[in-house]
Amino acid sequence: MLEWWDGFWAIYSTVIFGIGINAMLALSIYLTLSCGLLSLANAAFMGIGAYTASMISMQTALPFPLALLAGAIMPAIVALIIGIPTLRLSGVYLAMATLGFGEVVRVIVLNMEITGGPMGLNGIPQKTEWWHIVLLLAAILFILARMRRSKTGRAFEAIKEDEIAARLMGVNVGGYKLLAFVMGASIAGIAGGLNAHYTFTIGPGNYAFENAVDILTMAVFGGTSNLIGPLIGSSSLTLLPEFMHSLKDFRLAANGLILILVILYLPKGIWDPARIRNFRKKLTSSSSGKVS
Amino acid sequence: MSYRLKLLAAATFLAYSTMSQAADIKIGVAEALTGPAAKYGVAIKNGFTLAADQINAKGGVNGNKIQLIAEDEQGKKEEAINVFKKLLFQEKVLMIFGPTLSNSAFAADPIANATKTVVFGTSNTADGITNMGPFTFRNSVMEADVLPVTTRAAVKQFNIKKVAILYGNDDAFTKSGYDVFKSALAEQKIPVTDTETYAKGDVDFKAQLTKIKASNPDAIVCSCLAEEAANIILQTRSLGMKQPFVGGNGFNSPKLFEIAKDAADNTLMGSPWSAENPSAANKSFMADYKAKFGSDPDQFAAQAFDAMHIVAEALKKVSLSGNLEKDRLALRDALPAVKIEGATGKFAFRRAAPKDGKEAGYDAQQDAIVNIAKGGKFVLLK
Repeated sequence: MLEWWDGFWAIYSTVIFGIGINAMLALSIYLTLSCGLLSLANAAFMGIGAYTASMISMQTALPFPLALLAGAIMPAIVALIIGIPTLRLSGVYLAMATLGFGEVVRVIVLNMEITGGPMGLNGIPQKTEWWHIVLLLAAILFILARMRRSKTGRAFEAIKEDEIAARLMGVNVGGYKLLAFVMGASIAGIAGGLNAHYTFTIGPGNYAFENAVDILTMAVFGGTSNLIGPLIGSSSLTLLPEFMHSLKDFRLAANGLILILVILYLPKGIWDPARIRNFRKKLTSSSSGKVS
Repeated sequence: MSYRLKLLAAATFLAYSTMSQAADIKIGVAEALTGPAAKYGVAIKNGFTLAADQINAKGGVNGNKIQLIAEDEQGKKEEAINVFKKLLFQEKVLMIFGPTLSNSAFAADPIANATKTVVFGTSNTADGITNMGPFTFRNSVMEADVLPVTTRAAVKQFNIKKVAILYGNDDAFTKSGYDVFKSALAEQKIPVTDTETYAKGDVDFKAQLTKIKASNPDAIVCSCLAEEAANIILQTRSLGMKQPFVGGNGFNSPKLFEIAKDAADNTLMGSPWSAENPSAANKSFMADYKAKFGSDPDQFAAQAFDAMHIVAEALKKVSLSGNLEKDRLALRDALPAVKIEGATGKFAFRRAAPKDGKEAGYDAQQDAIVNIAKGGKFVLLK
C-alpha cells in the first residue's frame, strides 16, 4: 500500500499541487465576485506574487515563508493603489479596466532587466512542499468561512445583491469593495509564489489574459454562491484534462464541450445549494405524495 | 550428465538468455502535440517515429526494439512536469526526448536530472538549458553558434560596412537572437547604425524602417519570426530600400516566401538544417519522410530524426542489464562520445561550460548552413 502510494505521489504530486494552487486562485476571484466585483486582475496579481517571491528566494538568503509573505503583501499594496480609482467602475467597465491593468503588468515585467525580460526567471529553487499548500489553503478557507458569517461577509452579500440598497443601509460600499479586492490580490499572490517554487520557471506569458480567463472559469464552473463551488470548479477543471488523456487530439475540444454543457444547464455552477435544496424538496414531496 | 544432455542444457540456457535480453527499449517522447506549439511538436514526433521505425525494421539496437512512448505536454510548463513524472516513474522509460519549448524545458528538465535520467532536447535553443545538470543533452544548435557564422558570411557576400538591427523585444526567441547578433557584430567590428524594436502582433513597421533608412546601413539584421520578417521586408522595399536582410532561424519557414515572395531575395539565413543540403543522409531522410507522412519535413523533424539515431548509436555500446538505474547511467556515459553524420550534417557533442558551480550537460557541435533566398526559396550560399 505504502509502495503504491509512493509511486502515485511521485507521478501525480504536481497534479495535486496544481489542484491546491488553482483552488486558491478560484477562491481569490470568488472573494471579489462575492462582493459583486467582476475583476480580471487576479492573474496579474498572481504574477506579481510569483515574481516577488521568486526574486527574493533567488537573490537573497531569506527563508521561504518570508518570500511567500512578501509575495502576499506586494500584490495587496498594488491592489490598494489601483483599487481606489478603478473600483468606482462596475460590471464590464471594471472587467476592462482590470484586464488593462493585467496587460500593463505584463509589459512592465517584459521590459525590466531584473525580471529577466521575455526570458523570465529560470532556476527558481524548488521549495514548495505539499504541506505548505495544504496549510495555506486551510488557513484561507478558514478565514473566508469565518468572514462569510461575519459582519463583513454580510456586507459583501448586501453589496452583491443591491449596491444602492446597501449604501442606503449605511454599508461602507467603497471600503468593503476595496477590502475584497486587496484580499483577493493577496490570495492570488500566495498562489503565484507557491506555483513558482515548484515549476522552477516563470515568464511574463504565464500571467496574461488567458490565465485570467482560466481563473474566472474555474470559479464560475464550480459556482460562486459559497466556498465549496470554487473548490469543486478548480479541482474538476484541473483533473479533467488528466482524465481525458485517452482522447488525445480531441481533449481540448471535449474540455470545451463539458464547459458549455455545464454553463447551459447549470448556469449557477455545479455546486448550487438552492437548486440542490429544491431538488431534495421535490423528491420528498413526490414520495410523500405517493404515500398519502 | 551425458555430453548430449549438457549441450542441450547449454543450448536452452543460451536461447533463454538471448530471449531475455531482446526486450523493448522504452523511450519517452514529451512534445507539444496540441496547443500553439503543436506545429513544432508534431513534426518532432514524426521525426522520432520515422527514425525508430527504420531502426526497428533493421532489427533494432543489438536485437532490442525501440518503443516510443509519446505524451502530449501541450507546450505548458506544469503539463511538461506532469508528463515527465509520468514517463519517469510510471512508464519507467530509459530516457526522455523533449520538451518542445525552452520554457517547458526549464520547468521539466530538473526533474529528469534529479532522477539521473538523460533528457534530450531537439528543439530547445535557449541559453542555459544544458546548465540545468549533467543529464541534459541537446542536438538543437544554439543561435549563439549559428548567427555569428551568418553575419560573417553576409559581410563577405555583400561587402557590408555597417548594419541596422530590428528585433521583437517581447519574445524570448527573438530577444535572445538579438543579444547574440549584437555581440557577434561587436566581435566582428561591424558598427550598428540604428537599433529598432517591435512587439509581437505588430503589422506596421514603417516608423522604425524610416529611421533605419535615414541611418543608411548596408544591410538590415533582423531577429524576427517569419511572418513579421516577411512584412518588414515588404515594407522596406515599399520605402525604396534595397538593403539585403540577415536573419536567424525564425526566417526558416515557407511563410516567409508566401508573404514576401521575390522581395525576400538576397536574404541570408543560417540554419542547422537545409532542404537544399545535397548529402546522401539528408536526401534519403527527406524521401523517407515524404513517403511516410505525405508532406515535406522541416528542420524540427530533421533534428528529431538525427537525435533518435544519435541515441541508437550510443545504445549500441550499452549492454542493457535490466536494472533501470544502471541502464540510465550507462546511456548517459555512452552518449557524449557519439559522432554521426545525419540529415543535419556532421554531429558531435560538446560539453557546456559549468555555471554557478553546477555540472553542465552537452550542447551540439555542428556547422551551421548558410542559405540565401533566390527566386522564392532558400538555396545554399556558395
